[in-house]
Amino acid sequence: MMIGPDLLNIAIYLPLAAGALIALLPRAKEHLSGPLALAASLLAFIPALALYLGFDPALPGMQFAQDLPWLSALGARYAIGLDGVSLLMFILTAFLGPIAVLSSFEAVKEHRRFYYASLLALQTGMLGVFAALDLLLFYVFWEAMLIPMYFIIGIWGGQRRIYASVKFFIYTMAGSLLMLAAILWLYFGHQAKTGVYTFALGAYGNAAAGGTGMLLFLAFALAFAIKVPLWPFHTWLPDAHVEAPTAGSIILAGVLLKMGVYGFIRIAVPFFPEAAMAAGWPIAALGAFGVIYGSLTAWAQGDIKKLVAYSSVAHLGIVMVGVLVLEPAAVGGAVLQMVNHGLSTGALFLCVGMLYERRHTRLMADYGGIAKVMPAFAAVFMIVTLSSIGLPGLNGFIGEFLILFGTFKVWPCLALVSLGGVILSAVYMLGMYQKVFFGPVTNPANKDLPDLKVREWLCVLPLLALIVWIGVYPNFFLRRIDAAVNDYIRLAGGPRPAVTLAQEGK
Amino acid sequence: MEKTLLDLIAPLLLAAVPAIIALLVRPAWAQRAAGIGLAAALFNVFISAPANILPFGQSLVYDPLTKLFWLLILGAALAAVVLTPRAACASELPANEYYFLLPISAVGLMAMLAAGDLIGVFIALEVVSLPLYALAAARRTAAGAEAGYKYFLLGSFGAALTVLGIAFFYGSVGSALITSAAAIAGLTAHQAAASAGFLLIMAGFAFKAALVPFHMWVPDVYEGSPSPVGAFMASAVKAGAVLVLFRLFVAADLPLYYKVFWWVAALTMAAGNIAALPQTGVKRMLAYSSVAHAGYLLTGFMGGKAAFPAVYFYLAVYAAATIGAFSLVAILEKEEKGVTLDGLRGLAAADPAKAALMAVFVLSLAGIPPLAGFFGKFWLFAQAVRGGSPGLVVIAVLASAVSLYYYLSIMTAMYAGKGGASDAPRARTPFTLWLLGAFVLFGGLAADLFLLPAARALPFLP
Repeated sequence: MMIGPDLLNIAIYLPLAAGALIALLPRAKEHLSGPLALAASLLAFIPALALYLGFDPALPGMQFAQDLPWLSALGARYAIGLDGVSLLMFILTAFLGPIAVLSSFEAVKEHRRFYYASLLALQTGMLGVFAALDLLLFYVFWEAMLIPMYFIIGIWGGQRRIYASVKFFIYTMAGSLLMLAAILWLYFGHQAKTGVYTFALGAYGNAAAGGTGMLLFLAFALAFAIKVPLWPFHTWLPDAHVEAPTAGSIILAGVLLKMGVYGFIRIAVPFFPEAAMAAGWPIAALGAFGVIYGSLTAWAQGDIKKLVAYSSVAHLGIVMVGVLVLEPAAVGGAVLQMVNHGLSTGALFLCVGMLYERRHTRLMADYGGIAKVMPAFAAVFMIVTLSSIGLPGLNGFIGEFLILFGTFKVWPCLALVSLGGVILSAVYMLGMYQKVFFGPVTNPANKDLPDLKVREWLCVLPLLALIVWIGVYPNFFLRRIDAAVNDYIRLAGGPRPAVTLAQEGK
Repeated sequence: MEKTLLDLIAPLLLAAVPAIIALLVRPAWAQRAAGIGLAAALFNVFISAPANILPFGQSLVYDPLTKLFWLLILGAALAAVVLTPRAACASELPANEYYFLLPISAVGLMAMLAAGDLIGVFIALEVVSLPLYALAAARRTAAGAEAGYKYFLLGSFGAALTVLGIAFFYGSVGSALITSAAAIAGLTAHQAAASAGFLLIMAGFAFKAALVPFHMWVPDVYEGSPSPVGAFMASAVKAGAVLVLFRLFVAADLPLYYKVFWWVAALTMAAGNIAALPQTGVKRMLAYSSVAHAGYLLTGFMGGKAAFPAVYFYLAVYAAATIGAFSLVAILEKEEKGVTLDGLRGLAAADPAKAALMAVFVLSLAGIPPLAGFFGKFWLFAQAVRGGSPGLVVIAVLASAVSLYYYLSIMTAMYAGKGGASDAPRARTPFTLWLLGAFVLFGGLAADLFLLPAARALPFLP
């Protein structure tokens, strides 16, 4: 088969089809649902990988594109395709899928068929968001994903799962509904101007300017900012993360948050370049503030999972700075950093989940000296921690360095603030590592914890491999982004002029 | 072949005659008789070509628009009849009478939507209402009596307003044809009386559609009457009333009415959704939610005539989800109070099929993609934006966000809770429910099937 739209469709819908199949398994065969889900998500990774390798980095614009009539009465079309940015998000999603499934084998004991069906449906929703080139299709995937995520947190979550799942749903939905109103406004505005009803993303480049443009930009930006989450719209995140089962956290941190940033890159900024140019600095400033705020809050946590959750606020804050600064190196770095964060935070949640499965607590105070009991696990956790901090040689460094490097030329002040956050991340991450892994084993319950099992090795090894790979040879990933990043900056009316520290924000 | 009067009224007869037979046969056969009649009528409408004859003045018009109306009403009535659980007839509904009254009410709805003049509309409205008064009071309990009483008193009040309005309108315009409403704007004398009269006519239907301020009866009647009756009232009857309102609204097309309906829509959405928030009885919650949905539909009215496809599609989707939800309640309820949120707790574990169906219906009502309810709402709100009422759309969007909370409480009870429903006896899940579920699940992706015929019927709107 040619590497083309068919393969793209297979990659998107294979998980959903497998999920439906698993949901229909007879009760007696329930034990098969996990292995089947793993097989399906691995199988779905193959076409995604083929697309990744078959992608031509030299070409600008969308590849593997398909455009079919869908709702002709509305002018909505089934349009999908990938450019460099969505390609990276797409492969990240497909890559984390099997890991999320594999990590649930022992953690999830109840309603397994429904669980794996939800996880796979979620996978299709996320892949669809990154591939959609039609606003209505994008919105449908964007929202459809809420339902399985709501179930995953609400049914298989922790103590306060119901509160967390409802809060997650309503927060996201409130933002999305505003986006919906903005979509309608655009849609009819476009029709009034050109006489054509369309939802094609390409038709809305520089769609509105002036006050209207700003208003519409803010509607989209709010919806995406909630998802990112940008400070001060982040309060759903710690609840959702803490209550979600491990796989839910991996997907949330690994992919869902990226959808907010992706929304800025694909929709909010190119649609309203004038507004984005004007509002870019304040929003990026929120991001930079979020870096400091997230880091300080993470530092204060006694719960490891909460710490990782707040660290996500910090990491995504710096990504937002990179996306809005409209400087090629920074934007490229931001896209790469999205992948990095997905890998390292996904791995962190995975490791926290492994600890939790052994001891059923996430409080640092309950641990100590784990490195003596579980040496291999401690080594893995160390690599992941260093990746999250941004140690040179591992993936996090490349992304953060590129963002800071690019940002410093344009917004030196924000770059410095973000840099402060990066330094803080070393403080709280290493502090956490020290409390959990070093020192004497004070708690007798920790004396005989088993080290990593084969299944757990299978979960972490692919993540570790990529963490090192991106750190050593980022070009394999970066060169596919370049064309899309340049497209984005051109559509956004960038790059911004370089300024000195004293001129910034004037 | 020349169309005759018989061709025109064949669907009415096909639905009505078996209903009369249902009165005479053994109770076990009554449901089949009514169902077969409605199905035959539906099939007849589906294959028949609209006839261009206007018997009795314009009291009955069968044009492509009528065809679409009838398909919707018959589909909803058929689903309501088929989904009436056997047990309901054993305990609280006299089977023969029930399967007679419900199809007759549906025939009334068909006549109401086919009527070209206001007298015909009014007579048909009474044919709709009288069987419903009896059905609402079918339970021989205090709650049943209250439901019947409320529905009867307030319904008569609404009907009286309609008659009064017709008198005003006829007195000032000199015609009772719906199409003559277009003349109101051009009247030099009596314009105030004519426009006020026409508004009064609409008030009678606003009662059936449960618009604020005519919505007070809804929770008590839906809760007090047997669940299958509630399903019929919330779907077919509401659809009929909204469609008549739409016809009248666009026939007059007065700026004043746009203003009035703007406020009625806003208040209806706000009142319905806010009142639904604290409910713990699922039927009461669905009742208030059905009030809110009337408000969403009115939001679409702001798009004028061209909004018809959106209104039509939304009604179909809304009716399917509502019948589905009410029928599930009818199947699950153990005593007449109906199902509470506590009673749904743990349903997903005890009976995953029913919980999944309920989830589909509820999420569609909430308007979550990719379910059909989302596309319906999207297209409806789009009409209001096109019609120049973005403010109302913002209200509608906020109201939808509020509604999420109570729809999610149903989901949460079913999926995250324990107990309650887990000891319930597992009844069979009727095949028709699966059909409705499939429609609600995939209907949005195939919305063209509704939108395109409705768009073709647009020229037939008055």
